[in-house]
Amino acid sequence: MDLFLQTLLNGLLQSGIYALVASGLALSVGVVGIVNFAHGEFLMIGAFLAWAASASLGLDPLLSLPVVALAVFGVGALTYRVSIRHVLLAPELNQMLLTFGLGILLQNLALMLLGGNTRTVSTPYQASSLQLGELTVGGPKAVAFAFAVALLAGLYFVLYRTTLGRQMRAVAQNRRGAQLIGINVDRVYLLAFAASCGLAAVAGVLVSVLLFASPTVGLVFALKAFAIIVMAGLGNLTGVLWASVLLGVSEALVQTYVPGGGGWSDAVFFLMIFGTLVLRSFRGSR
Amino acid sequence: MSDSRQPNVSQAGQHRAGQELVIEHLAAGYGKVQVLWDVNVRVGPGEFVAMIGANGAGKTTTLRAVSGVVKPTGGHIRLGGHDITRAAPSEVVALGLGHVPEGRELFAMMSVRENLELGAAMRPAARAAQQHTLEQVYTLFPRLQERSKQLAGTLSGGEQQMVAVGRALMGLPSVLVVDEPSLGLSPLMTQTVFEALKAVNAEGVSVLLVEQNVGLSLRLAHRAYVLENGQVVKEGTGEALLADPGVRAAYLAL
Ligand SMILES: Nc1ncnc2c1ncn2[C@@H]1O[C@H](COP(=O)(O)OP(=O)(O)OP(=O)(O)O)[C@@H](O)[C@H]1O
Ligand SMILES: [Mg+2]
Repeated sequence: MDLFLQTLLNGLLQSGIYALVASGLALSVGVVGIVNFAHGEFLMIGAFLAWAASASLGLDPLLSLPVVALAVFGVGALTYRVSIRHVLLAPELNQMLLTFGLGILLQNLALMLLGGNTRTVSTPYQASSLQLGELTVGGPKAVAFAFAVALLAGLYFVLYRTTLGRQMRAVAQNRRGAQLIGINVDRVYLLAFAASCGLAAVAGVLVSVLLFASPTVGLVFALKAFAIIVMAGLGNLTGVLWASVLLGVSEALVQTYVPGGGGWSDAVFFLMIFGTLVLRSFRGSR
Repeated sequence: MSDSRQPNVSQAGQHRAGQELVIEHLAAGYGKVQVLWDVNVRVGPGEFVAMIGANGAGKTTTLRAVSGVVKPTGGHIRLGGHDITRAAPSEVVALGLGHVPEGRELFAMMSVRENLELGAAMRPAARAAQQHTLEQVYTLFPRLQERSKQLAGTLSGGEQQMVAVGRALMGLPSVLVVDEPSLGLSPLMTQTVFEALKAVNAEGVSVLLVEQNVGLSLRLAHRAYVLENGQVVKEGTGEALLADPGVRAAYLAL
């Protein structure tokens, strides 16, 4: 029983970071209508910036987080202005090629500048752990989860309780209607894309604490984020939270109960995409 | 609408000065395809003007050009004292245009109320008056008050049209352009929507109505224009056009 609860808890903790990456991706897919294949690379930038701040200034990643978020928000805004904006009306294949190319560019830049090694960040809470009755939680995991939850709460507050958030949801649901009631759609796109990149970077900061920074660290998170937004239904922002928990918990269950499950757990997201698509085609809905 | 509401409206001081909308020698199109060649339309302050024409004549394109969604390739558009020929849609809204688009273009996953509130969100003056305007819209369409929490995408076509009109009114427009509101509506529902437009116009808002329902709109409008192949080919008072043999043959099948 305890093993089961511990497994659920591990899965839940993992899902915080998934939700962070996926809700960022959902913003660019849902609001801007761009499938950003470079999303994982913005996460990677966040992870490296956190590592750099820690290695050179001795700053705890959780302290450099706001600065990293702002910096990558800026990078995202610039990326929108100089590239994304110009392909909004282009065929989808061209858009994908652009973001895919951007991802490869960023990965190789990181490889050139920093090499292929993984960089770890040391924190005082690295080896600590929390005891909740019979259950144990690693310090970094607990901290990362708390941050993820706080950031997601902030994000969903903005989306559902502020004028800007309403504008974003309006653009996501009906771009033409939004334009005709006077919403500056281009500005909303810029902010949504920049926020999307900022969220990826924030997730990257947490990943630097949980794992490490490396040029390819973002890849697996981006793939899982794609699985999550497919499960949630493209553009469905609230569905992302449930889908993230589902993925996190399923992975944990596989890790615990499937023999040799450590290796299999990273395939769970793929099964989930597959399962969702098959289920939907049976139901005949999108 | 019943006359009993008129005193209410003036009590609230909501009689709004309609502005003039002038479209001169407008040319526009999509990519290389030119759709509008020479459109000349004037809606005086507080006037109710109809524009009729066959499918594909360019009525929707004209309204889109007014809103700044389609960029004109020639001619001029003025709203009040402002040249809006090259203005962005958000600027045109800020200057007082309300647009009830073809196809309604609602926010399907938001409630009726949220749709209406968004209509007021982009103009500070409209935001300040939001609560009051909301009550006015509910008076105009009591059905919307009953359905205020329902998702817009689950409403009937007629109810959706009411939301589209209400959403535009929430922005406190001085000029309202309306694109085929009767499309897919029962005669009774059409009547409701048209009477609402008449009431809005009676409050001083200038209205430009595009319609396929030619009989009804010509009876409602002070003046009207006939658009054919991207050109205005006829204009006159509603009555004059209703009596025009050409119009009767082409649009009323009489
Ligand atoms: N987005 C678009 N891209 C290319 N051509 C378009 C586009 N929208 C409209 N057109 C073309 O422009 C012409 C005028 O269309 P418009 O929608 O303005 O006509 P309309 O008078 O509103 O017709 P209806 O009564 O059927 O609504 C049509 O030939 C149409 O095919
Ligand atoms: Mg039309």
